Amino acid sequence: MGRTLPSANQYLIQEQDSFSSFRRALRRSDQLALDDLFAAARRHSAAIAFASHALPFEAALLSMLLEEHKEVMRLRQQVEELQKQQ
Amino acid sequence: MAEFTGWLLDLFEDPQGGIILWFIGADAARIRLRQPFTVTFYASGAPALLKKVEAFLHSQPAALEYSHTRRQDLYRHDAIPVLAVTVQPCALSSLVHRVARQFPNLDLYDADVPLAIRYAVRHDTFPLARCRVTYAGEQLQSLSVLDSPWDLDPPPVPLRTVSMEADADPRCQTPRELLVRFEEKEHHIPLRYTRSSLIRLNTILQQYDPDLILTTNGDVWLLPYLLELAEKNRIKLQLNREPKRDPLIKKEGSFFSYGRIVYRGQQFLLYGRCHIDSRNAMLWQNYELTSALEMARVTRLPIQNAARCSPGTGINVMEVLTALRHDILVPWQKTHGEEIKTAYDLLQSDQGGLVYQPLGGVHENVGMIDFVSLYPSIMTTCNISPELPIPTRIGKSPFPPGIIPQTLKPLLEKRITLKQRTLSIETDETLRPYYKAQASTLKMLLVCCFGYLGYKAAKFGRIESHEAISALGREALLRAKEAAEDMGFEVLHLYVDGIWVKKAGCDKTDDFLPLLNTIIDRTALPISLDCIYRWVAFLPARVDSRMTVPNRYFGVRQDGSTTVRGVEIRKHDTAPYISRMQENLLGIFQNAANRTELKQHIPQALEMVLARYRRLVQGEVPLEELVMHRRMGKELDTYKVSSPAATAARQMVEIGHPPRLGQRVPLVFTLGKPGACAWHSQIPIDPQSVNYVYYGRLLVRAAAAILQPFGIEEPQVWEYVLGEGTMQLSLKNMRMAVFPA
Repeated sequence: MGRTLPSANQYLIQEQDSFSSFRRALRRSDQLALDDLFAAARRHSAAIAFASHALPFEAALLSMLLEEHKEVMRLRQQVEELQKQQ
Repeated sequence: MAEFTGWLLDLFEDPQGGIILWFIGADAARIRLRQPFTVTFYASGAPALLKKVEAFLHSQPAALEYSHTRRQDLYRHDAIPVLAVTVQPCALSSLVHRVARQFPNLDLYDADVPLAIRYAVRHDTFPLARCRVTYAGEQLQSLSVLDSPWDLDPPPVPLRTVSMEADADPRCQTPRELLVRFEEKEHHIPLRYTRSSLIRLNTILQQYDPDLILTTNGDVWLLPYLLELAEKNRIKLQLNREPKRDPLIKKEGSFFSYGRIVYRGQQFLLYGRCHIDSRNAMLWQNYELTSALEMARVTRLPIQNAARCSPGTGINVMEVLTALRHDILVPWQKTHGEEIKTAYDLLQSDQGGLVYQPLGGVHENVGMIDFVSLYPSIMTTCNISPELPIPTRIGKSPFPPGIIPQTLKPLLEKRITLKQRTLSIETDETLRPYYKAQASTLKMLLVCCFGYLGYKAAKFGRIESHEAISALGREALLRAKEAAEDMGFEVLHLYVDGIWVKKAGCDKTDDFLPLLNTIIDRTALPISLDCIYRWVAFLPARVDSRMTVPNRYFGVRQDGSTTVRGVEIRKHDTAPYISRMQENLLGIFQNAANRTELKQHIPQALEMVLARYRRLVQGEVPLEELVMHRRMGKELDTYKVSSPAATAARQMVEIGHPPRLGQRVPLVFTLGKPGACAWHSQIPIDPQSVNYVYYGRLLVRAAAAILQPFGIEEPQVWEYVLGEGTMQLSLKNMRMAVFPA
């Protein structure tokens, strides 16, 4: 009952807030892309918590990278399918 | 000497010493007996301090005897020296408080154990236990218990029950009649003619002599009100069976639990018979008396206390019983604190259950598999108890069972058997709800045992044990996920003790059995297929539609029943009109077998939403269907901003009904300032002042929560209702929401 440390979700929200000045200085289109990256990290909050890493932002960055790579794999597959159709 | 076989109904301290017991005889007689019974508490401290305590006790006539002895403390290896003080049960509480005030550094044990628990330790009793009793005059000579709280089908007890309720909720209008029901009879007693009404009520109570009085609002309003009327008219109201005692009134209060203030109303308790207020009883809404009686049987608390106690209190009392049976001291106030750990250890251990973000959208033929009472199973299998070393992996323990596993084992076994009976096709249909109610009560106790172990003030709590259970729970769930993936299933969601999976071609129970067996092999913990969903929709967060929320979903099982979590229908503060709209909306989709059929039901669903929206904005909805409840989270004078709850609470104060901290205030949202109006018979509301625009917004939002996974977002619902249904919906282009995996 009750916890001493913030949960992975709370941590990611705090981390995103800490980048609010960085976000503000970006172009609108870049701001939306940045929001997508943090949303991608939150999809893996269970894994970030389970890793119990002393520097959890590394796990958050890895989660963003993971989602990016999944997107690359999806697009690559689509390209291959389109190439086969030609 | 005479003897009889009957059921133990109630026991309490006798002001003249010893205890009084009430039995239900097999021949319909109600028997009152007395029994000499003393209780002992213990004090521990430095020898010099104990000498001073001894000198103090010498001046206290309540202390019948005191002596030095050694007793076992749960957290220490050897027995510790203590001073044992024996008193009459009626004198215990006041003497303990006097000693504690005089010697604040003293550690006290067994000082606040309920009398019924002490009696249960000595005689193996429980409420409604079937007993063989011998007695002489009014003195009980011997008692032997013939059954057990763990019996699955105890013989029915011939309880006489009277139910009493007013014809109106006193918060909304002044009641005019008291409805009294017993056996097949129903009496309407007008509350206007006070004296004759009270005499009529007394006649019923004397002639029928009920064992149980069931009321609605009896704790906070009805019984105190009747008692007040009786005093004014100088009539002795026979609510109590014990003639020379007044009912016991426990004061209302507010406490902090799980991050919020909870209000608990006053309690009105009787002697010799039991009073249960359905508004102040745990689990009453779903399971009524069965749940209260099951709680009383397994916790051994008196029926009227068990009906009102939280599951946390129930499990705590059961642990106390186990400790006393093993002659282990029960601390009055816990002094064992959290152990010192490194930051890294804290990082590793301070975690909850494993919770995934589910794959959003609509999924077909989804198997929902869950561990059977995961945390209690881990506690019993791995022998996790505060006095034992913490296990680091799932498996059998080399130590003898600790206090917690010993307490949980019979509970867990009974719940599993009852659950099997509720699911078995051989079970008698009339008994199925009875078993379900019992199983649900036991589930609450089991669930709270895990939480209580991490509670700093729990008598047998230890945060490290609590954390170990969480860690092993995460390990078990990950092993289940790995087993599912190894067998080609797609894991849609993980939630603490449950796993949602699907695989092409798997839509029958037998298709999931190999997976269940593999999980059992890998975890050694019991697991079951909870259900197979025809379809289930995992919903996105309201604040960020890119994200799904772990506990926000709905679906239809193969048997046609629905499961709904995290939407308005499940929230306590939703207006009834909006809850019902959402319920009906789900009803429209309930018969759809697959995604194609779901799409076909969308036009009907939108038409229904439009009709409800029209009725709302045209002011055709009765005001009581728009009443919402807001909790008083802090004292009224500390509100800086005039929130709806604070506004309504101030109005209640003005009419002399101030809400208490943690209480829910009923209100209706209105136009302009102050924006809300308390819902009470003495506070008139002009229907034209109701903020229908706000309610319309809530209605559309609630509709969109259900329609979103079928491809209709909130702006589209708005477009449809504001355009009076003229928006053309192209079903062909409508895309079921499916988030990328």
